Amino acid sequence: MTEAGTQDAPPAPDRVRRSGRWVFVTGVGLLVAWVLVPIWLLLANALSAPAEVTAFPRSIIPSFDTASLEFFFGFRGVLDALWNSIQVASVTMIVAIGLGAPAGYALSRFDFPGKEAFRFLVIMTRAFPLPLLALPLAVMFIRTGLDDTILGLALVHATLALPFAVLITFSLFSGIPVELEEAAWTLGCTRLQAVIKVVLPLAAPGIAASAVFAFVISWNEVFAAAVLTIENRTLTAFLLQSLDVSPLHLKFAGGAALVIPALLFIFAVRKYLFAMWGIANR
Amino acid sequence: MNKLETLKAGAALATMTLLAGPAAAEALFWSTQAKPVEETQAMREQVLAGFEGGVDYQGMDEGPWLTRIQAEMQAGSGTIAVLGGLHGDLSGLGEGLMDLSAIDTSVIGDAMLELGRLGTDQQLYVPWMQATYLMAANREALQYLPEGADLNALTYDQLIAWAAAVHEATGERRFGFPAGPQGLRHRFFQGFLLPAYTGSTVTEFRSEAAVEAWGVFAELWSHTTPASTNYSFMQEPLLTGDVWIAFDHVARLADAFNQRPDDFVAFPAPAGPEGRAYMPVLAGLAVMNTAPDAEQSMALVNYMLQPETQIATLRATNFFPVMPVDMPDDMPASVQAFAPAIATMTGASDALPALLPMGLGELGGQFSQIYTDTFEQIILAGRPVEATLDAQAEVLRALMVQANAPCWAPDEPSDGPCPVN
Repeated sequence: MTEAGTQDAPPAPDRVRRSGRWVFVTGVGLLVAWVLVPIWLLLANALSAPAEVTAFPRSIIPSFDTASLEFFFGFRGVLDALWNSIQVASVTMIVAIGLGAPAGYALSRFDFPGKEAFRFLVIMTRAFPLPLLALPLAVMFIRTGLDDTILGLALVHATLALPFAVLITFSLFSGIPVELEEAAWTLGCTRLQAVIKVVLPLAAPGIAASAVFAFVISWNEVFAAAVLTIENRTLTAFLLQSLDVSPLHLKFAGGAALVIPALLFIFAVRKYLFAMWGIANR
Repeated sequence: MNKLETLKAGAALATMTLLAGPAAAEALFWSTQAKPVEETQAMREQVLAGFEGGVDYQGMDEGPWLTRIQAEMQAGSGTIAVLGGLHGDLSGLGEGLMDLSAIDTSVIGDAMLELGRLGTDQQLYVPWMQATYLMAANREALQYLPEGADLNALTYDQLIAWAAAVHEATGERRFGFPAGPQGLRHRFFQGFLLPAYTGSTVTEFRSEAAVEAWGVFAELWSHTTPASTNYSFMQEPLLTGDVWIAFDHVARLADAFNQRPDDFVAFPAPAGPEGRAYMPVLAGLAVMNTAPDAEQSMALVNYMLQPETQIATLRATNFFPVMPVDMPDDMPASVQAFAPAIATMTGASDALPALLPMGLGELGGQFSQIYTDTFEQIILAGRPVEATLDAQAEVLRALMVQANAPCWAPDEPSDGPCPVN
């Protein structure tokens, strides 16, 4: 679109359409690159030999040298830690949604005294930095025997994930007309049946999305995991602290080891995420 | 979505995890050292594998490391068998540590043992391994060394002239300094630059000599790559070639020497008017009162002090033994390069050891912050030197009074808290 001298005449419609298309394609391309280039760099470097990672100029195609990745999977405890991470994140997800979704429903459907205060207090749990909370929590956990268990850590992570679960499901339920429920009542449903048969199917994609949030929050959390678990380390706690002081090629390999499971998980639940954004493919 | 299936799976998972309690017989080694994965791996496979009963070695950041220790102390029961940490990490734990006098430490030097007593008459930690900081240079930089300068006896002025010559010849600033967030920049000011010019770390903090020292550093900074504020470990920029001359902790230079032994040289820190100041680094081993099996912990500490273990530790971490040992010939390239440089530096006629802060306890972090802040204000923000030193000296004095910490070398011993003139 470099030709000049067209200012006087209005541009032809197909030219406008073509430039619009060009802008659209560039925008899409940029967004895709925004996401894919870092992941590509991560994978390409993880699959390169150590000397190539620091070399310059570098080739774009990795040499498929698996030494760095092999080191990781040979690193004692990585697989256990991976399994622990999955367990903690799953329990976190169940607890956060199990408590958060009913709370969100209550906030959207009922008026009760202290509702605003409750909404505010829910967010307050994120206002205290974990390093501050970790010490008393750890003392309490050691005394009660919750220390170094999957459940104990999952409870902490669920506390972190709850505000999001409550607020996301709150807006979700608010978006579903109460008339639908009322219609179900007139047709003989009890309150609970109306929720299960009418509201939940409509809210499922959104609930799944907030479950993904809970999963990712737990997956990424380091400090509590590092303090509250010893034998049952999560992958993030296990690797992240060692990674930031490790040589570059191991950083890439470890980064890949941390990112890939999360990517796979999000890929597995993408249907629900897309559905929430209105790009339903079912 | 089949809700029942999901629920079942969830319940199964929950039951499983509830049953997965702690089941450990291995001794837990809770350490702030050897954190990089390769070092952790080497600690586990080469150093600790020989200990009967097995050791679970965990290298942690200081934050979670300390929080966990405090939690176990407060709860009165613990899982940690042995603590490993730098002098500064351990010095704040005093009351919670067991007396280790029963361990045979006769081969370890008195000065180090004294540090391990933390000002009491009990051996609260025993020296584990030691290190220091060195200079490293790419061999390509050697051709620009100013005439008459001896690499093994450089002065700060010669270092600046050298960095300037490299800057001029290549058009790029190629001196590198670990001023990143995880970098050990404060140690350079505490243990190298300031003592070399003032003969003191604390007392002469705002003297004329200190002003001169900061002026010298500002000049050096003008030949320092601006990317230095991102560097934590100088081995990486040395390997990529961005930096030709660098200062860092030996453990943070080692990888460069091990990957390309023929490309780099290690040499002593430069000297100032007061001498060739350098900071020895000491890591120690301690046992908490809450250790689950005190006997096993003692046995592990003892095991770490065997000469063979000390050499294995050197290979794994690039920290040197705390006792005289016979070095085998097949040590890694980094050890071969560092050992003579360290010997030259510590044995130099003008050598001036500046110890790690002592008696500051948990205020150690704030103490280092003063030096980092001073650096950032004078060098990065360009504030006037005298005014900045005056302001920071007040902070420093208040901190010394709060900690009630007497002076340590190279400052003159003091009766009360170490004075700031």
